[in-house]
Amino acid sequence: MQEVLSVHNLYKSFIGVKALNDISLSISQGEIHCLAGENGSGKSTLIKCVSGVYAPDSGKIVLNGHEYQSLTPAQAIREGVQVIYQDLSLFRHMSVAENIAIEKLRFENRRIVSRNEIRRIAAEQLEKIGVSIDLDQTIGETSLANRQIAAICRALAQDAKILFMDEPTTALTKKEVSRLLNIILELKKKGLAIVFISHKLDEVFSVADKISIFRNGFKIGDFNKDELDEKKLSHYMTGREVEYPRYVRKCKDDRVVLEVDRLTRKGHYENISFKMRPGDIVGLIGLLGSGRTELAMSLFGLNPAHSGQIKIDGKTVKIKSPMTAKKHRIAMLPEDRITQGLFMERMIRENITSSIIDKVAKNKIFTDKKAENDISEQTVEELKIRTPSVETVVGNLSGGNQQKVVIGKWVATHPRVFIMDTPTVGIDIGSKAEIYEQIHKFADQGMAILFISDEIPEILANCNRVMVMRDGRCIRILNEEDLEKPDAEKLISELISTRAEEEREEAVP
Amino acid sequence: MKIKIRDRYRAILLIIMVFYSLFVGLINPAFFSIETVFDLIRTSSTSLMVVIGLLLVMISGGIDVSFMAVALFGSYTTIKIMIAAGIDSLAFAFGLSMLIGGFLGLINALLINWLKLPPFIITLGTQSLFHGIMTTFIGDKSFGAGVLPSCLNKFGQAVLFSFQSDNSRVGLTASVVPILIVAAVTWFILYKTMIGRGIVALGNSEEAARRIGFNPSRIRLFVYTYTGLLSGIMGIIYVAQVNALYPNKLVGDELMVVAAAVIGGTKITGGQGKISGAILGVLIIYLLNSTLILIGLSSSWNDLFVGAILVVSIAVSSYQERVKNRKNLIFTE
Repeated sequence: MQEVLSVHNLYKSFIGVKALNDISLSISQGEIHCLAGENGSGKSTLIKCVSGVYAPDSGKIVLNGHEYQSLTPAQAIREGVQVIYQDLSLFRHMSVAENIAIEKLRFENRRIVSRNEIRRIAAEQLEKIGVSIDLDQTIGETSLANRQIAAICRALAQDAKILFMDEPTTALTKKEVSRLLNIILELKKKGLAIVFISHKLDEVFSVADKISIFRNGFKIGDFNKDELDEKKLSHYMTGREVEYPRYVRKCKDDRVVLEVDRLTRKGHYENISFKMRPGDIVGLIGLLGSGRTELAMSLFGLNPAHSGQIKIDGKTVKIKSPMTAKKHRIAMLPEDRITQGLFMERMIRENITSSIIDKVAKNKIFTDKKAENDISEQTVEELKIRTPSVETVVGNLSGGNQQKVVIGKWVATHPRVFIMDTPTVGIDIGSKAEIYEQIHKFADQGMAILFISDEIPEILANCNRVMVMRDGRCIRILNEEDLEKPDAEKLISELISTRAEEEREEAVP
Repeated sequence: MKIKIRDRYRAILLIIMVFYSLFVGLINPAFFSIETVFDLIRTSSTSLMVVIGLLLVMISGGIDVSFMAVALFGSYTTIKIMIAAGIDSLAFAFGLSMLIGGFLGLINALLINWLKLPPFIITLGTQSLFHGIMTTFIGDKSFGAGVLPSCLNKFGQAVLFSFQSDNSRVGLTASVVPILIVAAVTWFILYKTMIGRGIVALGNSEEAARRIGFNPSRIRLFVYTYTGLLSGIMGIIYVAQVNALYPNKLVGDELMVVAAAVIGGTKITGGQGKISGAILGVLIIYLLNSTLILIGLSSSWNDLFVGAILVVSIAVSSYQERVKNRKNLIFTE
């Protein structure tokens, strides 16, 4: 196979931090190459050097036999380098056709654009991957999966020879993921080189031919898929054996804190009942659309239930808004910490005390900076948030530390029930372990935690009870004995996806 | 082919206008005449001119509240020069006023690109700044009909397809000619040229636009300069129609035009908007404006109606957005 891209001894550093150290890599036509590594391991920096966003400090990049010290974005595109970023970079109010065609037309320096030509280009690309979607819909109107396809087509329209995909499957349902993976395999047959970045190890193993592992700006090695298994992969990624200690409930208090009785919201979930005691970590697992997030939202006063009851300490309560939820000492860590959990441009101190600002205020009127500082310092220490000071702006922290700030913010309210919606999404393995440790500590102190996650191993390590949801129903609650059985992992994965094949029909034929 | 929601929105506006007109006509049959239509177009022509420029700015994700000051600056300066030098040429009037307007628009764009501040703050500042420079350094005197170059008045009175009605000759104001030309040119720019698609792309996502090779600063340069040009044209049309030159008119009416654009379905967050929508927005406001008296309401009802339409139209579109968000489990209330 002909080599499309090779990089030789690439170095790049930012203000003293070495992001890339002596990286060499080679990618050939018709190869699916996976880059694995924790956040900050250098994968993105490498992509940005190849696509012309950054200029490397030294080393060379060879594309289709042409040698470069550094590239401009235009040169990269001319060499057939295409990057699909995680946010897809699509235009919401523009049609699918135009989103596909515009970059090509822009790049050809066209002054005048024609609608027919736009449609022709778009249709041509869709044909290449054998998919048909409505070209006239705007991106805002189309599904996430179709947006992903539009982004791929846009790259193809530019005669991509090498396609970088940054975590393309994050927001897709299982069925959409398998369709996407099929498309990727189809592109591979056509001779495209594909570089695939994903945190989901099962996907990595299902499509990749080769896997390159990065850690702290160094390349650990290139492996064929069959040389690795998930355990080895994560060992290479972190540089240590990561074994998560299993949670065992130690709390002796058996009074029920939160009871949910036949809670129903039509179209979202039906007849959900469960109980939580202090020290319980109840796992809530199910596919996207199974109703798990919808249920969690209802418990926190958003997305109100139509019928059924929520009881706290045996008393029925109506949770109409997050404010009432907070009054009942329920906390929630949202799925998307950036838009829903943090004030990204404010300091750690302000973020942490934002949940209790009324309590720290002097006479309930004037803010009390000293008290805020003390609380924040204590939280930072307790949660091991790595930061120079509590005055650091949250946006400058790493993902893992940001998540700890969100946790700290809610822990400051001393919640009795803490709902955590996928608390470790997009967080590197090292920070994950610390977050688990904290969660276990909170539970030992008597907090009840509802732990929503996609990852079965994570659920098994952290929960003493697991509720499995599918199509809006709770189909099984597994208790401690069930979870200790060796086949627990297999059982859960069967439960959540039994009907995955018949999963909600998508709009696409 | 199903009708898209956005098109439906404009259809609703049109239906509202038709029903309202029928209602006015029932109360006062004199309303049903070609004269009414001609009148409506004449009074709204200045706003129609600037709403098109504003539309481009809003689609690009920006806002401009200085265009009235620009229009005044351009026309006042131009006409003062014409009076002083004894020039009587319509082409000169439009040409110089456009030049000045375009230059002031360029200043807006440069400030926005350079200071990286929200366009609202910048143009709010330049609005006062431009007006202040004009009244301090160029002049603050009013000029009556007698001293104005006569070509202006001729243009202001000129009509197309005139015919004799009951007691007077009526016709369509010649101001529609520049408006139609500008609307056609703008349509072409917006839909058929790369810079036009760049404007839409920029309004959708600046980062994504940059990634596919658009230059946001250059697009802004174009958009604000273009708006300045149109404001220059509008200033001359305005003076020609009122047949007098005042140093303190126009400024202060910007927000009404912004409201018209929003009523016409232009997204204040950028990325979406239609020329036909913006035009409908202006017409609906002027329709109310000119007919309240016919249905027996005093003109003080005008603000109330315009405000109500604005609030309702924003409420409708924000409600639609929220329903969509809720489906994706995003709660914004």
